[in-house]
Amino acid sequence: MSLFLGSMSHHIPGRKELTDSKAVVRLLPKKEAYIPLVAGRAAGQNSFNILVEEGEAVQVGTKLAETKSGMYVPIYSSVSGTYKGIVKRMHSTLRPQEHMVIECDGKQTSVQAFEPLDYKHATREECVDFVKNAGIVGLGGAGFPTYVKYGKPDGVECVLINAVECEPYITADYRNVMDDPTDLIIGADIMKKMADVQHVYICIKESHPDLIAKVKENLGGYQGIEVRPVPDVYPMGWERVLVREVLHREYNNLPAEAGAIVGNASSAIAIAKAFTKGEPIHEKTVTVSGNAVKNPQNVVVPVGTPVSEIMEACGGYTAETVRLIAGGPMMGRTIVNDLFVVDRATNAITVLEDVADDAIACLRCGRCSDHCPSGLQPVRIKEAVQKNDLDEMIKRGASSCIECGMCTYICPSHIDVTEHVRKAKRVIAMKKK
Amino acid sequence: MKFKFHVSPSIKGNLTTQEIMKELTCCLLVLFVLACIYYGTNYGADYAMQAVAMLAASLVTTFICEYLFAKIRKRDPKSEIKNSFGWVTAIILTLMVPITMRIYAVVIATAFAIIFGKMLFGGFGHNVFNPAAVGRAVIFASFAGATTDLVTSATPTTTIASNLGWMPSSADELSQFLSQYGGWSSLFLGTYPGALGETFTLAIVILGIFLIVRKIIDWRVPVVYLGTIFVMTMVVAILAGIPSYHGIPGFLWYPVLHLLLGGAVFGAFFMLTDPVTSPTAPAGRTIFALGAGILTVLIRLTGNLPEGCLYSILLMNMFTPMIESALDGKQLEIQTKAKKMFACLAIIGLALAFYSSTQIGKSETAAVPQAEVKEVDQL
Repeated sequence: MSLFLGSMSHHIPGRKELTDSKAVVRLLPKKEAYIPLVAGRAAGQNSFNILVEEGEAVQVGTKLAETKSGMYVPIYSSVSGTYKGIVKRMHSTLRPQEHMVIECDGKQTSVQAFEPLDYKHATREECVDFVKNAGIVGLGGAGFPTYVKYGKPDGVECVLINAVECEPYITADYRNVMDDPTDLIIGADIMKKMADVQHVYICIKESHPDLIAKVKENLGGYQGIEVRPVPDVYPMGWERVLVREVLHREYNNLPAEAGAIVGNASSAIAIAKAFTKGEPIHEKTVTVSGNAVKNPQNVVVPVGTPVSEIMEACGGYTAETVRLIAGGPMMGRTIVNDLFVVDRATNAITVLEDVADDAIACLRCGRCSDHCPSGLQPVRIKEAVQKNDLDEMIKRGASSCIECGMCTYICPSHIDVTEHVRKAKRVIAMKKK
Repeated sequence: MKFKFHVSPSIKGNLTTQEIMKELTCCLLVLFVLACIYYGTNYGADYAMQAVAMLAASLVTTFICEYLFAKIRKRDPKSEIKNSFGWVTAIILTLMVPITMRIYAVVIATAFAIIFGKMLFGGFGHNVFNPAAVGRAVIFASFAGATTDLVTSATPTTTIASNLGWMPSSADELSQFLSQYGGWSSLFLGTYPGALGETFTLAIVILGIFLIVRKIIDWRVPVVYLGTIFVMTMVVAILAGIPSYHGIPGFLWYPVLHLLLGGAVFGAFFMLTDPVTSPTAPAGRTIFALGAGILTVLIRLTGNLPEGCLYSILLMNMFTPMIESALDGKQLEIQTKAKKMFACLAIIGLALAFYSSTQIGKSETAAVPQAEVKEVDQL
């Protein structure tokens, strides 16, 4: 209720009830798994050392490849079978990428990918190194290598574990935490050690009292870890909004400037599994939901499972024209075929019935400026784009947009405001080159 | 089975512009019905008929103008009319004119509002001035004398402005003034002659709160605008030594009187909140409303016109682009700047309140010929 600032967030109906209480279904690829050779900016054979020969037998946990340069990320096999070579396929980032093809034998025999580590007796640096070699990446959607955040935790006071899951429809994190609260808390404890802090806050939406209770029950014996209920608004799961809510601070580039490291709940669980069992990220809980899928549910699949097979297992599509989205409906990308596969950062497949665009003139109501979590003025950026005024696009801060989609969602005239801001970002990026 | 591409996000909220305009229209129509009931019961059915005829004339004019404009721009007239929401302008304009206005004046004013107020700027969403305010200004400037034979008494705003110079010098004078219009309660309820829809203060506030709760209008604009008028007139009351009235000190009743009379409350909830002609960011809207409040008081107390709401809106509409460009950038980074702008403007407002307090009490009849004052009505 500020005279000079809007709410910078907005409640969006979650539609979580479609999937949150349903049993999780386990699936395996029918014939082949396609493991994407993608890690952040590194993509394709030029960026990776391939560690297996064509025709070689692999098991769950066999190291298949690792990045040549830049941030180190290893890739482990998610299935057992035979390595068949490399093909180019559609990736969930909407670009064709190279994938390693593994013909499945259906047995899912596994090897220990690496030795487990007792984090309580290891040093901080050993733990961070361990996470690096285990190939743990942020599972919230960005897929950023986790160890990078813990490199130099100077001035960091706390770790925020993001179990908010503010995107509508998605319940994968909810299911993961609900089914495995102990690993979440072990993961939280490891993060606490790696960040060298006294406090870890596990952030969960107020609207999920069952989840809050579940995590609280399992907290016994761990010092400095507590549950922090946060309001059910979008985009509460963005680290900037989370830091603003919990610590009441702002920062420029990284949350560490505000004294916080933010990690995803499923990443914490993956870290715990790596330390205790020597398991890399090989399978993913994926929420298949939306108003155009027959049986919305959560599935657990090996990384590299084609979406077409998952959709088949969920009863297929119920509308003639659909938007198939890799991710949630707000930030996920629509992909024009279902040939892409589940990658390590994929946490949802949302299928929505296509609706025709019905935009009318902007009435300058300013709702986008009221609700923008970055505090931008999307309507003004849109005006600058329409005038093709580069200076104004820069001055109006278009580059700070994270494309959360709030401005389009909130726009009563149904204008794709986010797309205009995206255009401004592109123009500014081109200019900088 | 087809997969369709769409830029993210793929879902949209429930509140649409059509819904916003629908709720706004309903609230305005409630005011119109209240006006019909008031004039019908107090003055007779022909008065109510006159109100209906005025609205009908305004609506028909609007639709004809928009139809022609759509034809000229080679667009589908039906969807143009549907998505340009001209009827809101027509209803607001009708609510702002007194019952005694002739139909032809309403028609010409509406045509001006739609053509020169909106269409020449590029249609809905592009206009600089509030079109209804433009139309009212046309009537103000050109048709002040175009009245019918229907007779109502002078409005309280005209009376207090021209006879008392906005300053009842004693409790008796105020009592005498109030008794002409049925006392405080009737000023609250709006059962006195004035512009069709502007008098019903209580109803306007209730409808306004409804619109705020429904998030159709921004609470900042009416709160800051009415707050500014209240504070400024309070300062004036203290400085000018406005007497107390039946134990209520002058610095309380005088601001309340300012809010009750004229079009301030109607303007606050239904005109200043017009999204097209006000700044888009919250900080901008706050400063916009503050400026309008200051101008309203200034025009009322020191200008030749009895009422300042209308021109304060039109003047601030002109400042909208300037406010917007001054506050461009990331909102968290311009907070300090916005607060400084607000503070500076507030200080100017206080200084003007000092000035105004020296000006009130001087009868305005000297400046405006008596006959004309009678016709120059609300706003």
